[in-house]
Amino acid sequence: MLIEARGLAKTYRLGQVDVQALRGVDVDVGAGEYIAITGPSGSGKSTLMHILGCLDTPSTGSYRLDGEDVGSLSGKRLAHVRNRKVGFVFQTFNLMPRLTVEENVALPLKYRGGVPRGERRARALALLERLGLGDRIGHRPDELSGGERQRVAIARALVGTPAILMADEPTGNLDSRAGAEVLATFAELHAAGHTIVLVTHDPGVAGRAQRVIQMSDGRVV
Amino acid sequence: MREWWKETLELVGDAVREIRGHKLRSLLTLSGIVFGAASVVSMTSLAAGMKQLVYDDLMAMGFSRSFVAYDRGPRSDVRTAAGLRHRGLRVADIEALRAMPGVETVHGRNFPREYVVNAPADRRRIRIEGVDAGYLELRNFRIVGGRSIRPLDVENRSRVAVVGSELVRELFGNAPPVGQTITVDGVRFLVIGIVAPIQFDIIPADFSFVARRIYIPYSYLTRYAQGGGRVDQALVTATPEANFAEVLRHGELLLRQRHGGADDFEIDNEAADVLSDLAMADNILGGWNAVMFTIAGVTLIVGGIGLFSVLLISVRERVREIGVRKALGADDNDIRRLFLVESLTLAFLGAVLGIGGGAGLTVVTELIGRQFGKPFAIPVSIPGVVLAVIFALAVGLLFGWYPARRAAKLDPIEAMGGV
Ligand SMILES: Nc1ncnc2c1ncn2[C@@H]1O[C@H](COP(=O)(O)OP(=O)(O)OP(=O)(O)O)[C@@H](O)[C@H]1O
Ligand SMILES: [Mg+2]
Repeated sequence: MLIEARGLAKTYRLGQVDVQALRGVDVDVGAGEYIAITGPSGSGKSTLMHILGCLDTPSTGSYRLDGEDVGSLSGKRLAHVRNRKVGFVFQTFNLMPRLTVEENVALPLKYRGGVPRGERRARALALLERLGLGDRIGHRPDELSGGERQRVAIARALVGTPAILMADEPTGNLDSRAGAEVLATFAELHAAGHTIVLVTHDPGVAGRAQRVIQMSDGRVV
Repeated sequence: MREWWKETLELVGDAVREIRGHKLRSLLTLSGIVFGAASVVSMTSLAAGMKQLVYDDLMAMGFSRSFVAYDRGPRSDVRTAAGLRHRGLRVADIEALRAMPGVETVHGRNFPREYVVNAPADRRRIRIEGVDAGYLELRNFRIVGGRSIRPLDVENRSRVAVVGSELVRELFGNAPPVGQTITVDGVRFLVIGIVAPIQFDIIPADFSFVARRIYIPYSYLTRYAQGGGRVDQALVTATPEANFAEVLRHGELLLRQRHGGADDFEIDNEAADVLSDLAMADNILGGWNAVMFTIAGVTLIVGGIGLFSVLLISVRERVREIGVRKALGADDNDIRRLFLVESLTLAFLGAVLGIGGGAGLTVVTELIGRQFGKPFAIPVSIPGVVLAVIFALAVGLLFGWYPARRAAKLDPIEAMGGV
């Protein structure tokens, strides 16, 4: 199993009240799976995603990612795991406006340390070619369409050859055509053997995945 | 280590890009550091330049390796046997001093006394001074026409005169003075040259008297006017290699011996006066340095506060970016380094601009000096430049620390706005 999470719980403290965003979630994801997490707003999808993506730590529960126990890692180690094992795609793309497409894609490799500039460029270029963005490398993000931006973000998520690709509402800010482009890209990546976990409201999007995890009120149902 | 440098260099490149993205804001941020660095550079350059100018001026007076022996004249209150043997300073003393090891030159001199001078355009009383060959040159008095007094003139007791520049018009009208004849107490002298005072870069010493005197070979006065081989003064200059104190000691000893213990001369250590003048100039400039370093320090710290607040704004503006970078795998150190490098790059840029401004100020000072007929040079002080850079970087590090730390401590999810 690539992901083995047991009894994940997350409690936020808002003033006097505790908000239980997750109330004991078990998740298993095998290598090469394509999984969609759905559920109503506030059901804990993003919270789960952040924990699985090592952006956050659970209040209780255990989490093994790619054989490593990451549930209790500290900030620096967690950043390291994030850099090597996880590729993130966000709803709002989150590209660096001042960097070119190529520099944006190469950015995660900067934080790996020891990857020479030439290799970082080469890897970014190869990915952009593969995602059909080879003619966009010198552009700034604001010169691209929404669909193109999201595919740049996907390239950036993949550049570090992560064990798992995670996307939170990747089509949420896109029109249906651009959304379809992005979903097609995910399908291709899945076919090529990538492991994908995405969060979505949209049943149409969820339907494209192999398996759907349905959440409600902090639990998997 | 090479990796680290490469990465840092790349970060500097990123920082430059970020700074160029906010040109005006960056420039305003830097103004304090620019002023601080500019004042460090201009003030150290000015202080060093002034010191050099004062040094050059004092050296130009020609006394830096010299002492003088004065004739004291017979003293009526000295009733000792030695006092009775009073002979005063003689030409023979000069010859003896010249033979001493470590002595470069000895210039005989007779002090100026008023004589009646008859010239083509006027007849008047003028102070006439007897000098040795090379004396006018040693003192950096400028021969502005004709020639100076030469060794042969002194040897032959020639009746030649070098006339002060201010006297020329009064004594000769519009006619060219060199080659004309004047009489001094009825004796005819050939005018061979015109002399003007030494020009100083900076010290306010007044040597205008040179332009109102007439210089003739001292040997003439020694022989005919004062008589008996008496000279008023022997100016002894040591070689640069010689130990001056030794030369002074031996010179004094030699004269004592020659005068059989008579108290008929006096020694004056001119070199010591030059040294003490230099020390005084050093002191004044040292005080100036202290004041200006305080000013520069305060300016830099004010500049640092500006840098600090702009960096905090920058961190706040880029919270989301920081969150994304962290999501992509940047750890706290990476983020801290990002902002520290930006702070240091800004500070360095400020230092560079300030150094340019400071160097510009020295040029302006030179131009102003030129306006006032003082073409002195004020080179940019290299220690000043180094100091400005070090100060600015220290300020960048000091005031960049907290904003960088604040950026590094951001939680990625919160920073990205909950995503
Ligand atoms: N930082 C936080 N502090 C306090 N409460 C939080 C925080 N983040 C999430 N929550 C709460 O936890 C619960 C789950 O939130 P989460 O964002 O995981 O839901 P979601 O399923 O992603 O919703 P949406 O579909 O609207 O994105 C919500 O009630 C939310 O208000
Ligand atoms: Mg969500």
